[in-house]
Amino acid sequence: MSADAKKIDTQKIKEVLKHNQGKIKLSRAACASCSLCAESCFLYRGNNNDPRYMPSYKWLSSLGEIYRKRGNVDRAFLEKTKEHIWKNCMLCMRCYCPFGIDIPGLIALARSIYRSQGVYGIYPYTVGAPEAGCPADENALL
Amino acid sequence: MYELARGPLMWAATVIFLAGIIYRSVQLYLLTRKKKRVLYSAAPVKPKDRTPEERKMDFIVAFKNSLLGTHPIMAVISTIFHSFIFIIPLFLLGHNLLIYESWGLSLFSLPDWLCDTLTGAFILIGLFFLLRRLIVPQVRIISSAYDYLVLGITVAPFLTGFFAYHQWFDYKTVITIHMLVGELMLIAIPFTKIGHMVFFFFVRILIGSEYSFGRGSREW
Repeated sequence: MSADAKKIDTQKIKEVLKHNQGKIKLSRAACASCSLCAESCFLYRGNNNDPRYMPSYKWLSSLGEIYRKRGNVDRAFLEKTKEHIWKNCMLCMRCYCPFGIDIPGLIALARSIYRSQGVYGIYPYTVGAPEAGCPADENALL
Repeated sequence: MYELARGPLMWAATVIFLAGIIYRSVQLYLLTRKKKRVLYSAAPVKPKDRTPEERKMDFIVAFKNSLLGTHPIMAVISTIFHSFIFIIPLFLLGHNLLIYESWGLSLFSLPDWLCDTLTGAFILIGLFFLLRRLIVPQVRIISSAYDYLVLGITVAPFLTGFFAYHQWFDYKTVITIHMLVGELMLIAIPFTKIGHMVFFFFVRILIGSEYSFGRGSREW
């Protein structure tokens, strides 16, 4: 990745956050961390009940954290958490929250933030890194 | 302190609690002004068109997909916990006596021994939630200090009330702490995670989704 691409445009992130502030704030306040959404995710069930596949964890660890830091995140953070919303979620919209939090909507919102900084999910996923010869822009899931 | 907690602070807490709930409701209502274009039909196939076997199968599928089907123990315990949180304070003899002294009217009361037992059960369930949060990896990964604090705020009034009823420690101190934490809980309801008291009904009824109780057409 070139040097100029490494810079994070926090202003842009803050704009998205501000535009959706009400929803994110309310959803963070409503989440009781009960983990009852876990079983509604087929990826969770198919991955030996790995807690990292829980719908709530996916958005709390990405969008939730970005919101908590008020948008002041670095590229390392985005790179570290990108697989939570790209690889670990299919956006099948089937997750269930007892309080009705719009989890797929929040994950989609997180994706738009990551996308705005050029952090994509790259398919096919090998362990942690794109396959050799797959330039990011051509294979990014847009 | 006792007089302060019993009088003005109680009023302040009640007013903040009610105002906060109204504020949250209005906020949620305004946030979901968008109308959903596509409405999910609650029942695409009418039940009368299904054979008895199919209907039985529908029920089993719906049940297995519900929380009662996937987490039976948690669903039952959680329901008990949430009903007790209303039943115990509203129908406790001591509380109703105080209301009667102030306003000359009160709700009916449950016998003291029953309230005592229910409170004991409530505290044990609180302990269960604490242990679940500490032990179950799925819950632990999304738990922060805030979650423990909120659980503490919820259980504290019941714990201190239990102590006060049994006259453990210095009664006057315990009952004052009991009133203070009770007021803290009321204030905390609209502004913290306990706000799911409001969110739950609004979201399940007003916002259209596969799992809402009603056929809500509102959208985030």
